[in-house]
Amino acid sequence: MRAVYGIAVREFIRFLRQRGRVVSSLVRPFVWLVFAGTGFAAIFAGALDYRRYMAPGLLGMVVMFGAFLASLSTVTDRDAGVLRMLLVAPISRGALALGKAVGATALGTVQALAVALILLPAVRLWPTLSGALLAVVAIVLTSFAVGAVGLVLAASIRSIENFAGVMNFVVFPMLFLCGALYPLHHLSAPLQTLAYLNPLTYGVDLLKHALLAKWSAGGYGGELAITLDFAALIAFGVAGLASAAYLLAREGGVTRTAFRGE
Amino acid sequence: MTAAAIEAHGLGKDFGPVRALDQLDLEVREAEFFGLLGPNGAGKTTTVHLLATLLTPSRGAARVAGHDVVRESLRVRRSVGLVFQETTLDRDLTVEENLRFAARLWNLPGRVAAPRIEQLLRRFGLFERRRDPVRALSGGMRRALDIARGILHEPRVLFLDEPTAGLDPGTRRSLWQLILGLRQWFGVTVFLTTHYLEEAEPCDRVAVLDRGRLVALGTPAALKREAAVSSLEEVFLARTGHSLAETNPG
Repeated sequence: MRAVYGIAVREFIRFLRQRGRVVSSLVRPFVWLVFAGTGFAAIFAGALDYRRYMAPGLLGMVVMFGAFLASLSTVTDRDAGVLRMLLVAPISRGALALGKAVGATALGTVQALAVALILLPAVRLWPTLSGALLAVVAIVLTSFAVGAVGLVLAASIRSIENFAGVMNFVVFPMLFLCGALYPLHHLSAPLQTLAYLNPLTYGVDLLKHALLAKWSAGGYGGELAITLDFAALIAFGVAGLASAAYLLAREGGVTRTAFRGE
Repeated sequence: MTAAAIEAHGLGKDFGPVRALDQLDLEVREAEFFGLLGPNGAGKTTTVHLLATLLTPSRGAARVAGHDVVRESLRVRRSVGLVFQETTLDRDLTVEENLRFAARLWNLPGRVAAPRIEQLLRRFGLFERRRDPVRALSGGMRRALDIARGILHEPRVLFLDEPTAGLDPGTRRSLWQLILGLRQWFGVTVFLTTHYLEEAEPCDRVAVLDRGRLVALGTPAALKREAAVSSLEEVFLARTGHSLAETNPG
């Protein structure tokens, strides 16, 4: 589909043009690694260095910011009027949602892979070949799931002013409740339930399966079944995509602000 | 299939309790240059959005380029170009990238799109600026680019919603030259709206809307003759009993 490709390419060009976004996406995980990682490493009495434990979670964080923020750019598109032009194009709302999701998936994946190339050697985490392949698949699937969920949010929020609220009440809880910083089994039951509603949880878990398999006996590897991770990520992605397409098609929803009548 | 480019029968749209458009009956011929006039809030944009399938009618029906706007909305969208009142360009992309993006959305293969993009850029005086980001363009140039993008897929019907609003008189004049050149160039049906009534003189026919209702329809010359006045502005006054200045804020 040429339109899907076109929408995804545009996301990419926009991303590369926003230098601040490129730099912060690449630097952010290392800031966490140094400031949070060093501190926690001092009180973390595990069989592996905390910074190494943290690596899969940091990659999940890169995916989260990369894919989620790409999807949320739909909100900016609406403010700038570009969304109208997408809605007047002869493409179905499904294709529009798919284009956005593909763009988010590609952006999340590229950023996470770029960070992985520096991060993994930095913490001396050398995955096996199959581990590395599984990690790549995990990154792609997680970007897709997180991107699709982000799209649902972008299609339902009205304006850019709600953005700060989204960061505080969606992005940060998702980051903290995904097992990136500590194993999920340490959480209380209600928080664990919340974590299971978070697509990022399954992505980070899959990354732990891929990268921390050696330490799984010590309780640091993936905590959920790999098949469950796969199923959950695909389910979040597909359900998100379908709801986003529905929301974008709804007249008087997104379109009311896009087309204010006169 | 019919020879009419646009047909509307009893077309109407409500926004909650507000009747934005009431019982519009209209026929626009193939390759006609048609103007929809009226003050702000008269229902012009609503009409354009209904015809371009961006809104669903509350009443009535319409066909554009031979396709029903409700049941065949994708086909309608394929056959029309729409230039919105406010620019919908991506300011972060260059002039060329914006057109390439649109070409993909309209499913034009690169080998078809590339020469067409170059031709449009040259014709619209944007070729030298093709690698500049849109944010660096003047208002008039952005408008021209909006129009270039609207005709990139060679639509049968081009909707221009207030194409000259907010531009200075000089830019408005040169934009009009460009718009008038379009029909000679590839015989597209042009349906434009404006609240600058005097600008609509070159139209083949005009329709005048007031508060969602059609109050006049005909050639500018015939409308002026019937009302025995010399300008379209006075036609509006004669047909509605109030002047455009009262209804046009600012």
